[in-house]
Amino acid sequence: MPLRNFILFSNIRSFEFALGIVPPSESQGSSNSLLLPLVAKGDETAMRKCIDSYGSLVWSIVCRRIRDRMDAEEACQEIFTEVWRIAARFDPKVSKESTFIGMIARRRSIDWQRKQNRLPPLATLDSLPELSTTSSSSLHSIDRSELWNALQSLPENTLKLFSLHFEKGLTHDEIAQQAKLPIGTVKTKLRRGLIEARKLLNELNLNKELAR
Amino acid sequence: MENALARFEELDAGRVLGDLSPKETSEWLILAERHQGSNSIELDLLATELELQETQPCDLSSSLSNKLADTIPAFSNKNKQQPATQIISILPWLGWAVAACLVISLNIPDTDTSPPAIQLTSTQKLEALIKKEPSSQRLAFSSASDPYQNISGEVIWNDGLQEGYMSLTNLPVNDPTQNQYQLWIVDPERDELPVDGGVFDIPVGSKTAVIPIRNALHVSKPAAFVITLEQPGGVVNSKQEVVVALAKS
Repeated sequence: MPLRNFILFSNIRSFEFALGIVPPSESQGSSNSLLLPLVAKGDETAMRKCIDSYGSLVWSIVCRRIRDRMDAEEACQEIFTEVWRIAARFDPKVSKESTFIGMIARRRSIDWQRKQNRLPPLATLDSLPELSTTSSSSLHSIDRSELWNALQSLPENTLKLFSLHFEKGLTHDEIAQQAKLPIGTVKTKLRRGLIEARKLLNELNLNKELAR
Repeated sequence: MENALARFEELDAGRVLGDLSPKETSEWLILAERHQGSNSIELDLLATELELQETQPCDLSSSLSNKLADTIPAFSNKNKQQPATQIISILPWLGWAVAACLVISLNIPDTDTSPPAIQLTSTQKLEALIKKEPSSQRLAFSSASDPYQNISGEVIWNDGLQEGYMSLTNLPVNDPTQNQYQLWIVDPERDELPVDGGVFDIPVGSKTAVIPIRNALHVSKPAAFVITLEQPGGVVNSKQEVVVALAKS
């Protein structure tokens, strides 16, 4: 099956989204369904709902990188503590709630992985500035299947590396072994691919603006 | 200039992918300071979207779900009983450190009145915290012996917000490829081990640094804040071989 079709239909959720079946927690049309603005105000019920709604998502992101169950559970606690602390930084004009929380989970679990490998942790969100709502890289109006469609113009070998890294969750070492590439090449291609993907996202947003 | 920006962008992509080497991490920190206008979370969000496309949610166990609910400060404060008067001592935890390394002076020195260095984001947040919550806990750091005898500063901590900062002067520059500073928070209401407050570096050129506290777990009425020197990336449990500074209530 061509990679493009595989990406489109391998995830039933993107299929559901294409048919207009949007899970309530992802709805951006109604601000009443958003939990993080309430969490930012210290709403305990909203925080409990946040754990119920996104706990599974966070757990799956953590388990991709942290094998030990106790470590994974502790990482989840750290992640939701951070969600509680920085909920006020969520902006629905910039991204979906799941993306924002997923980003925290991803960053924390990457840092955990780096700590296990005796590498210095990377900067936390505390030290990164806000994302402007006018940024051309805003993701709030782009669904995931649209995004992957837009990325089809990336070079074939970059798409393959993206698939191994983002879809299959392989480490750089594992990708280098499987693709029979030097690890330095994998790092460079993934980094440049991500930068190029951002440019494609900017174009996608621009095209959507012009189409309105 | 363009080359430096292009290099920063590539390193930032490496940061998002989690593949920066220790040397690249130091380089990113320096370039991030220079290109603050280019700093953003765009790539973080983009990478997350790409990953979420194929992430199948895994159900949480009910025990983990309950544990997560307990991390919510409001929940944990509500459910905690008021503790009886108790003598809080951090000496058992520090005892090994005192025996194993340099003597820690327990005479709290006068707080250094040097103006904070300009590190925009953390400094502004510290000032905002002090202004918003003037009753936040403030403890002065006391230093150990050589080479840390000239350290001064304070820690500002707010239980309700779970937010805090350290303002440190004359903390020696470290090479993150060799070692990093790590903060530990002694919370008597937790188990015997202190809570990890985050790993940090002092880059070249810093006289006074404002460091945000990144507590891994909820802390309540911390009795002490201890800075140790650890391997790159920090440790899960400190052997307290090098205690750099201590602030205690």
